[in-house]
Amino acid sequence: MLQVENLVAGYGKVKVLHAISLHVPEGSLVTLIGSNGAGKTTTLRALSGMIRPDAGTIRIAGVDITGLPSHEITRHGLAHSPEGRRVFPVLSVEDNLLMGAFTRLTGSRPRGDVAGDLARMFELFPRLAERRAQQAGTLSGGEQQMLAMARALMLSPKVLLLDEPSMGLAPKLVEEVFATIARLKALRVTMLLVEQFAAAALEVADFAYVLENGRLAASGPAETLKHDPAVRAAYLGAAH
Amino acid sequence: MDFLILAQLVVSGIAVGMIYGVIAFGYQLTFATSKTLNFGQGEALMLSSLVGLTVVQFTGYWIMLPIVLAFGMVQGAVVERLGVRQAIKTKSESGWIMATIALGIIFKNLAENIWGRDALKFPSPLPEAPIGLMGVNILPMEIVIVLGALAMMLAVETFNRRSIFGKAVVATANDREAAGLMGINTSLVITFSYALSSMTAAFAGVLIAPVTLTGASMGGALGLKAFAVAIIGGLSSGMGVIVGGLILGITETLTGFYLSTGYKDVPGLVLLLLVLSFKPSGLFGRSAIKKV
Repeated sequence: MLQVENLVAGYGKVKVLHAISLHVPEGSLVTLIGSNGAGKTTTLRALSGMIRPDAGTIRIAGVDITGLPSHEITRHGLAHSPEGRRVFPVLSVEDNLLMGAFTRLTGSRPRGDVAGDLARMFELFPRLAERRAQQAGTLSGGEQQMLAMARALMLSPKVLLLDEPSMGLAPKLVEEVFATIARLKALRVTMLLVEQFAAAALEVADFAYVLENGRLAASGPAETLKHDPAVRAAYLGAAH
Repeated sequence: MDFLILAQLVVSGIAVGMIYGVIAFGYQLTFATSKTLNFGQGEALMLSSLVGLTVVQFTGYWIMLPIVLAFGMVQGAVVERLGVRQAIKTKSESGWIMATIALGIIFKNLAENIWGRDALKFPSPLPEAPIGLMGVNILPMEIVIVLGALAMMLAVETFNRRSIFGKAVVATANDREAAGLMGINTSLVITFSYALSSMTAAFAGVLIAPVTLTGASMGGALGLKAFAVAIIGGLSSGMGVIVGGLILGITETLTGFYLSTGYKDVPGLVLLLLVLSFKPSGLFGRSAIKKV
């Protein structure tokens, strides 16, 4: 569904990614793990057009979206729940969700059942239902994370990019976030998950890529990587 | 008797103040989406007012209004495309300041060549005789100014709160990058906010012209005073520009009468300096809610 070949990207003259290739098949959950500064967030930013790739190709369902501005990439069905959540603080919870469906409400993507999807989001995230009229800026960090994910899902996306959904959350909320990701996987949402919390990501994912200094260091079924001694040593705190 | 004079001065100040408020509201619109301002806002007002003067002779006042508002939108979009877009793209801190001032000067020269340098009379759509209300004289056009200004701001606010496109404008103002991820063309939103901003200036221009005069030199002072109002009221508060406008309008007429017309601009500017020193976000300015 998402096919990336030899992606090179960075900030100005500083290249962060050096020819990354990865593939996210339809209905699967793929995770991209790696240490701080390896280029995980940069990868997602390049995929969704927040930064312009310097080389390589990105395809969604066979359509080349390389170099398009982010609002046009969104119209091709790629949703991105960005690092730091980035909810719209002044808009209400419900309006944040409607913004997620902006392309559907304004005719640049098939409309489908927006009201039904809104109801489903409130079912999936009951906390958001309680706070639907509240300004998003007043939500707690965990609630904002739920909102950012729900807002991205409102696109009814072909591919969902999730950037560090567990960042800065209390352990109990991290569990909740991963439980939600597992539920989305069961619903066959195609996802690319970036996580620093590698153990949990490998637990839930089908397939994993390991990123090191802007290059792919390893890849394989999550189940295999989980038991790979090198990966365990580097990312899973191998001692146990 | 003294009280009547005071009431009269306040009433006149309110009308002028509402005009300042509407122009200042226009500054807020572009600042919200792009953190840039059109320093040619006063010239936008002037140009639209003179276009209105030409159109009004063929159509009458009320049909002229939508035509001038449309002209204002186009003018604002042109300013954004020529003067602001490139500066935003290259993240230039000051490029847009110079560019919007330059465009303002060009518009002023253009107007001087088409309509001359003299102040011109703008035909009033309503009787020009004041109405006596409890001893205070009010021009019918002053009432239209106050109601029109409020209606314009209310219309824009309603659009922002109720319509999906208005919410997209608010989203862009909140977080431009995240708005792009929603599929919102944020460059277009910024162009639109400039169009809307110049449209409010155009509206202010044809509201005030029948009461004062119009002419190529009317824009500079109005644009500058409205800028003071936007700073006093806060660049992020719709309520603030109304209050700020009224404060400035009323202090001006009071100073003009009780001190000297020569000093009438001083209190507003002193207030501007005080606000900048003690409450730089404006009397009603708020910092955005942000929680991590």
